[in-house]
Amino acid sequence: MSVNQYTPDRTESKYTKSASTFRQNVQRDLANEELRSNFAGAMDYLMDKRKASFPSNDELETLRDQCKLIKQRALVKLPHLLEQLETKLNENGIKVHWAETINDANEIIAQLIESKGGKNIVKGKSMVSEETALNDFLQARDMEILESDMGEYIVQLANEHPSHIIMPAIHQNKKQVADIFAEHIDDFEYTTDVDTLIGEGRRILRDKFSKADVGITGVNFAVAETGTLCLVENEGNGQMSSAVPDMHIAITGIEKVVEYLDDIPPLLSLLTRSATGQAITTYFNMISKPRQPGEKDGPEEVHLVLLDNGRSQAFADEELRQTLQCIRCGACMNHCPVYTRVGGHAYGTVYPGPIGKIISPHQLGLESTKDLPTASSLCGACGEVCPVKIPIPNILLRLRKESVKDTKGGEGELKGAGSNRKATEAAIWKAWSLLHRVPAMYKVSMWFATRFRGLMPSKLGAWTSVRTAPKLAPKTLHERVKARRK
Amino acid sequence: MSYKFTQQSNSARSVILQKLKKQVEGADYDKLPAETGFTYPEISFEDQFTHFVQLLRNNQAKVISTSETELMDQVISELKARDISSLLYGADSPYSQLIEQGINQSGEQVELQDYDYQLTDNKDKLFNHTPASITSSNWAIAETGTIVRWPSQNEPRTMSLVPPVHMIIVDANKLYCNFSSLVKDQNWKDNMPTNALLISGPSKTADIQQTLAFGAHGPKELIVFVMNSPTDINL
Ligand code: SF4
Repeated sequence: MSVNQYTPDRTESKYTKSASTFRQNVQRDLANEELRSNFAGAMDYLMDKRKASFPSNDELETLRDQCKLIKQRALVKLPHLLEQLETKLNENGIKVHWAETINDANEIIAQLIESKGGKNIVKGKSMVSEETALNDFLQARDMEILESDMGEYIVQLANEHPSHIIMPAIHQNKKQVADIFAEHIDDFEYTTDVDTLIGEGRRILRDKFSKADVGITGVNFAVAETGTLCLVENEGNGQMSSAVPDMHIAITGIEKVVEYLDDIPPLLSLLTRSATGQAITTYFNMISKPRQPGEKDGPEEVHLVLLDNGRSQAFADEELRQTLQCIRCGACMNHCPVYTRVGGHAYGTVYPGPIGKIISPHQLGLESTKDLPTASSLCGACGEVCPVKIPIPNILLRLRKESVKDTKGGEGELKGAGSNRKATEAAIWKAWSLLHRVPAMYKVSMWFATRFRGLMPSKLGAWTSVRTAPKLAPKTLHERVKARRK
Repeated sequence: MSYKFTQQSNSARSVILQKLKKQVEGADYDKLPAETGFTYPEISFEDQFTHFVQLLRNNQAKVISTSETELMDQVISELKARDISSLLYGADSPYSQLIEQGINQSGEQVELQDYDYQLTDNKDKLFNHTPASITSSNWAIAETGTIVRWPSQNEPRTMSLVPPVHMIIVDANKLYCNFSSLVKDQNWKDNMPTNALLISGPSKTADIQQTLAFGAHGPKELIVFVMNSPTDINL
């Protein structure tokens, strides 16, 4: 039984992987009713589950404050904690590698695999490896890399990208999954029964696990104090990937380090409850060493790749630094009215939804992501549910400002800052601000505006597509008040 | 490892650390705000235990009250109910004598397999010829319905991962109220093992249309045998 060769070329993929065509992506996905109903159903489900898992508001708010402070402490100490983590991991026998860019990270991983003569790779869920497009990179080097999280596996078969950071195949319903299996798995007996579908995935993937020479996973938390890598999961594929092959490579962003082991229990509790409403996931896997003498399983070699990819840019600004508090629970997308309607692919970035809008500009530059911060009604739901209290709406506003500001090209500017600045818009606002500062000019201009109100166009772009254009009054308020006083 | 590769990583290391250090130089750690945790109401041990069992059952684990004298009869009857005639255990593990004696005395045709091999050369055996396993556990956590296992040389980590049926023995006297208190009380930070596992049910997924399915990759069934249970749970 073989899974059909899956092609790395994604240019054919239904979903463009570009945030620069955000507006077109949105039109495309809004028109897809099946997609919209898949998302609506899933988000309702996840919101209900989260709510039910926090019966006490007091507890929730105390935990949120506590976890926010834990993450902020970790960030203030970040460079030292990274050094401490490295020292501890080294003592434990785990090797640490650093990468500034996604290419460097991929290169490190490829070389590690080659050093083992590895060909068959299984990967547990890792959004950072999506960020680096690791699959494409390794496949180009003739290595077979198989996603083993059920959702990721489905997405990989369909030659797509995850549409949600926790539930990657949330955009597909079971009928669509059955169709994907029918197309890509030999001898698949068509069924839409979920147990049977999962059973089929299990059968294929277990075979792959038993034959893999390298396993790759992400990391949810890295503990500096003890040199421990923590993995949160329900399926067991993370354990399969980290315990069965002879080499385990973990990849994560530099912001995932926490200071103490004691920081883990509250973070874990808040993560799983915010994400899926579970008190805890089925498995919590804490890895501190490679296989020790006398032990019979586990990898002989464990490596950790630490990736920057724009994180240090966010770190350089105290407001934007809060973006790095994120524990990737997905609650912000589950509660986002925009995400629920347009779905995860429209964003065209690896991380969709509110967190995607505030992290992607650092990874890809504001130029290609300038539309993302504007795709928000600023309803505030994301900030209200975020377990580590990232003020997402404020950060969105800040990024909007950064994208239209008059750049000097100096040091400390965000990559792509000012790329949304338009000369006419800037001129209009300049004039507006001048008028409002000089009373005489204001008076004169208002007099003209009211007297020539008939010249105002009745069509005002998108605004009037569903509204009638506003009309100016025949006289200014100042004039009318004056008249009354007489 | 190639020379170029290590150099690149080293230079990335210093660039990243330098960038970060520049931003937080001179930060006064003593001025960091106090972090207050939530104070949970005290719950009696019996209630904690009931909660523990309830959560495990909600997560589709089978929970059975047992004792040293009952354990192996119950294990054998669970195996028979599933037509399983082979059981993986760890020799020289906390309950190994009990397990060996129980199987020998039962007269049942159950083959006891010891995990006496290196996994690297025996993957087919573990993946395709091991229908069930039995292991001990170290502690349990009431708040989340969790069993904690520090795999050992005798009971390696894949024992609770690969076989489709996993039986695990829990001692109710080792139940902690929550994860925090366990980590502190047992001073984990000074003794982290190669691998520590928290298990809260059989493997599962809801990745297809939010529909829960058990046995995603790991065990399809988790059977929990509880020693010293303070309340009657076989209801
Ligand atoms: S920003 Fe907050 S809510 Fe969104 S994924 Fe990160 S931690 Fe969760």
